[in-house]
Amino acid sequence: MAFSDLREFIAALDKSGELVRIKREVDWDMELGAISRRNFEQSGPALLFEKIKDYPSGYSILNGPVATWRRVAIALGLPPDTSVRQLYAAYEERRDKKIKPVLVNSAVCQENVMTGSQVDVYKLPAPMVHDGDGGRYIATWDIIITKDPDTGWTNWGMYRFMTHTQNLLTGWPQATSQLAMMMKSKYLPRKQPMPIAIVSGCESLCHMVATDPYKPGENEVEYAGGLRGAPVELVQCKTQDLMVPAHAEIVIEGELLPDRIALEGPFGEYPGYRSGTMGEGVLVQITGITHRNNPTLTLSTLGVPPDDSSIAASLTAGIAMKRGLKRRGVPVREVYVPPEGVTHLIVVSVERGGSQVARQVLDYFTARRVMVSKAIVVDKDLDAFDMNQVIHAFATKCHPGRGITLEHYEGRANALTPCYNADERRRLKGASVVFDATWPDDWDPEGIPVKSSFETTYPEAVKNKVLAEWANYGLGGKR
Amino acid sequence: MKKEYVTFVRRMRDLNEGKEVLFIKDLAPGPRKYDTKLVRAELSRQPNKLPDGDVLWIRSETGRLQPEPWAIKVLEELPPHVPGQPWQDLFVAMRQLK
Repeated sequence: MAFSDLREFIAALDKSGELVRIKREVDWDMELGAISRRNFEQSGPALLFEKIKDYPSGYSILNGPVATWRRVAIALGLPPDTSVRQLYAAYEERRDKKIKPVLVNSAVCQENVMTGSQVDVYKLPAPMVHDGDGGRYIATWDIIITKDPDTGWTNWGMYRFMTHTQNLLTGWPQATSQLAMMMKSKYLPRKQPMPIAIVSGCESLCHMVATDPYKPGENEVEYAGGLRGAPVELVQCKTQDLMVPAHAEIVIEGELLPDRIALEGPFGEYPGYRSGTMGEGVLVQITGITHRNNPTLTLSTLGVPPDDSSIAASLTAGIAMKRGLKRRGVPVREVYVPPEGVTHLIVVSVERGGSQVARQVLDYFTARRVMVSKAIVVDKDLDAFDMNQVIHAFATKCHPGRGITLEHYEGRANALTPCYNADERRRLKGASVVFDATWPDDWDPEGIPVKSSFETTYPEAVKNKVLAEWANYGLGGKR
Repeated sequence: MKKEYVTFVRRMRDLNEGKEVLFIKDLAPGPRKYDTKLVRAELSRQPNKLPDGDVLWIRSETGRLQPEPWAIKVLEELPPHVPGQPWQDLFVAMRQLK
């Protein structure tokens, strides 16, 4: 059963003990971010800040809607204790389903409307998330909606935006993002502004779809419907030719300008650092703001994992990568994106290993814009979701000379990768490496070392006896 | 009471004393804190050399705060943006304004 809006999802979190309502007044200027960050680092509950300094009673901020696997499970309508592997399987099973959206004429997201000279983004409680950020980031856990003027394809993505003045925002969709490609290929040549909607406070699966790297041309709102098992209701923006989720809490409508820029950043980003992306963003002229009565802004106080980005992207990127690897003929069995690796480190288990397969994996990750800098390829006999097993395989099976393959590139690296220097970040110059932790496929099977574990070392008869007698050895009920 | 502002620079060596064009963020408390202006201003690293100036805090591109503020006297407020294309280096574009 899909949640109809963020408020239903908040109620479900509350019921399951995954939410704390903070009723004491909290300052939007860093205090709220500091509470949220510390709470993330303790894998704490979602936080609903219900009284925000300088803002009307009833305005609230929700931090961390899906920053734990338990909350992802709730968002998917599954039991909170569903395993990570099961969550991956459920998401993968639903990811291809499409349900067309339903268009509505009126919507709760337009209960309040500001247009023209009334536009004032400071009427919304945009937080100063971290000390040292370039501004107040009103869009961190959002859906950014843009439309191809020729094909009508509507793109949903998730990018950061901060307040600049009362009617201007600056933002930093990466220069290699789908939004950037659309702006550069369709609007800049015509010197036209690009209509944009910055949406906050949808039910969580819509936001997760915005993090999912669907290919250009794919209709993300239909996938959101498929994932929810119910159509997304859309309503026409008040000032732009764009359709937005009718159940959203807040919608900022505007135009991304083709000929003017302003200061953006820096910001403490999803890799866990504020690494110097600043002054290379975009400028949005706000043409309208609509919101529900007593709106709730969704926030993810990004930083070191876990947070919404590292958890949600583990799932959405992991499944997308598995599909992509399969399309390229890699004998992939499972892909796991450990949240601690913030999508820079990927684990790929394969049906058969060897250097050729490892090379194929590296080719896939470096073919276009590159968000991954390290991939570990492991054999199918281990659990790719168990990092203890993965680290053991990496430490013991990856040859320090032959087992590592490196690829350099320029113009498509991830500018947020902290180990790149300033020049590399500006030139989008980087490198990716694959660690082949599989047994070489040209080795004689007789020469392959035998793993010394209970499961792999003993005959079935011995194992069965040991398991049957385990308690009788005085080892309690542990099996 | 002096006003307080913050600005961001790529490198400290990029910021010069004298007349400069720069983005500043207003640090006055309240719901409009951090509102941004583009200004032409007189800058000095020694506040006593600009006695009628306000306080300018400076942060690097990674957000690190310089321990000592400069003095700033706003001479002119400009439209809060500069000519340039999205994803262009803002600081390169701003050189045209000087």
